[in-house]
Amino acid sequence: GLLSTWDGKPSYFFLFAPVKRSSSRARGGLGVQPCGSVTRPVSPGRWKAHLRVGGLSSPGGGFAPLPLSDAWSPGSPPAGNPSHGPGGRHRPLPPPPLLPCRRTAGGARAPPCEGSSAALPGPARNGGQDGGSHGAELLGRRLGAALPAPGVSNRHEDVPVLISEDIVISQPAKILNFLRKQKYNADYELSAKQGADTLAYIALLEEKLLPALLHTFWVEAENYCSVTKPWFASRIAFPLRFYLPGKMSREALNRILLTRGGPPLYSLTEVEAQIYRDAKECLNLLSKRLGTSQFFFGHTPTTLDAFVFGFLAPIYKVCFPRVQLQEHLKQLPNLCRFCDDILTCYFRLTVSGHSPAGQDTADANLQKLTQLVNKESNLIEKMDDNLRKSPQHPPRKLTTLKLAAGGEESSPLNRLSP
Amino acid sequence: MSLVAEAFVTQLAAAEPWPENAALYQQLKEEQILLSDNASSLAVQAFLQMCNLPIQVVCRANAEYMSPSGKVPFIHVGNQVVSELGPIVQFVKAKGHSLSDGLDEVQKAEMKAYMELVNNMLLTAELYLQWCDDVTVEEITHPRYGSPYPWPLNRILSYQKQWEVRRKMKAIGWAGKTLEQVLEDVDQCCQALSQRLGTQPYFFNKQPTELDALVFGHLFTILTTQLTTDELSEKVKNYSNLTAFCRRIEQQYFEGHDKDSPATVAARPAKRSLLR
Repeated sequence: GLLSTWDGKPSYFFLFAPVKRSSSRARGGLGVQPCGSVTRPVSPGRWKAHLRVGGLSSPGGGFAPLPLSDAWSPGSPPAGNPSHGPGGRHRPLPPPPLLPCRRTAGGARAPPCEGSSAALPGPARNGGQDGGSHGAELLGRRLGAALPAPGVSNRHEDVPVLISEDIVISQPAKILNFLRKQKYNADYELSAKQGADTLAYIALLEEKLLPALLHTFWVEAENYCSVTKPWFASRIAFPLRFYLPGKMSREALNRILLTRGGPPLYSLTEVEAQIYRDAKECLNLLSKRLGTSQFFFGHTPTTLDAFVFGFLAPIYKVCFPRVQLQEHLKQLPNLCRFCDDILTCYFRLTVSGHSPAGQDTADANLQKLTQLVNKESNLIEKMDDNLRKSPQHPPRKLTTLKLAAGGEESSPLNRLSP
Repeated sequence: MSLVAEAFVTQLAAAEPWPENAALYQQLKEEQILLSDNASSLAVQAFLQMCNLPIQVVCRANAEYMSPSGKVPFIHVGNQVVSELGPIVQFVKAKGHSLSDGLDEVQKAEMKAYMELVNNMLLTAELYLQWCDDVTVEEITHPRYGSPYPWPLNRILSYQKQWEVRRKMKAIGWAGKTLEQVLEDVDQCCQALSQRLGTQPYFFNKQPTELDALVFGHLFTILTTQLTTDELSEKVKNYSNLTAFCRRIEQQYFEGHDKDSPATVAARPAKRSLLR
């Protein structure tokens, strides 16, 4: 099948399978079907962990419960996708990304991933056992404790889920703690006070911004019906797709009403007004705290930057019909610049939404594979001719051609759009 | 409240000075009040003391039902009733008294963030402990909560409240936590507060702010309340600068008022471990 990726360009992977000689003519000799996306081959022998994001097989909200979004092209409304069939008001999502995580020579770069474990940025320092300085230790203990996944539900199958070799870790805080133990730590250089500040700001985000975020995604009727529900339903298997989004929506509403809905606010509209007011105040506070610096604690990003990005990026990028929070955010230029910076640096997206480096590699791979296909098809035609000319022999079986990079890594993922 | 209503109330508030007969309502101190409510009430009292505003503490069995938001404490000032620390701070600010005027924007943001941390962690942990931990519920909470009312009303009210709190805990994801995890969270929160406080007298160095009042309210209550176990207060006692902070504020703002001082309040909760 042909899938479009976040930037709208169709991308391909090639499926090689043993084919019979007789049918080989039809497709230029090889039974090649263009489908999926080309991946950058990951060389074996490097440490790999796969991060599954998106609510696919696992129901449940998770932190910012978003699958990778196609609809995040800034500015443009999610028009129908020309390259994918009818019915889509928004572009369909790429298949579940399995993000390879690489450790390079000098340090490591954690994979970008969506939601609260968005952008675990910065090269790791090989610090102490638990990752280094006092501030980092405090954060490690705090985040490693069983935090509730601050999202809609807290079930076992929450997303994001990190799968590393045989270990499966499911909550954002636990994932961060695990990475910390593997010596990937962005908070190594924080002082104790800064570590404490991080916890405080995370609490502020959870208390003030999260209700409004949940409301925008799950409770606001127009947003829910036109974007969120089709989005999630398209990735959930039949027949759960008719039930689960509704359940998640009810849970979000429940959470909002229970935590914010007491007297003197007696109606839903009053509650909504209050939570949006709080959210806007929170955004203002974040903007004041960020000021003109690049990240919250200087020039290198830390866990707080990741959490703030995880909250802000959905507000900033998803195209909803009702966008009051997004409009407020756009009036805070330093927060917008912060999001754009992280998207550019760590998700390899330019502001316009294209990924130049990824594009080039994809093109190069495409070219190589096309050449390979052509070569093979020429070979096979030659063999065909030889066989026709020679006396009758039983047909020789063609050897199965496998994609060079190996089965697992070639799964269709290239665009790491959050 | 809608924006218009809020603006209206603020204007009304600004019109009159602080009266002498302002009253703060909470539940009965000796028999009824619970850990979390006592903490909130103490925080408001500390804040008003820091602002030098006179307030009388009035104990009523039905304070929770009188309150406009269902939460204690609430203050009755002139002809207005305001509950909970956040709105009270704004109300007092409208009357022209404020503790955080001297802070710059970044510090104000930090202050609000730390107040949310305390509410998010300490208050929720207190609520968890007193409503979701079965031992504490049986021995302390149920007997205390409905004590002013006859049977079966006392049991019905306390079960109703317990159900409500447990629903909320489930919604925010704390229902699945064990007591050890909750205590661990309290420890993290105290460690963060301790590191933020450092060696300064107050959180924002020279002058106390509403954050100091809030932290004092919670920590003092935790330190001086006897529950079925001492684990919670032990967590706070690990941080000597926090205990020194509580003592300092108590001496500075509560010494002169014997009747309402938390020192006497501290003596009374010693009875909390006894069944009523």
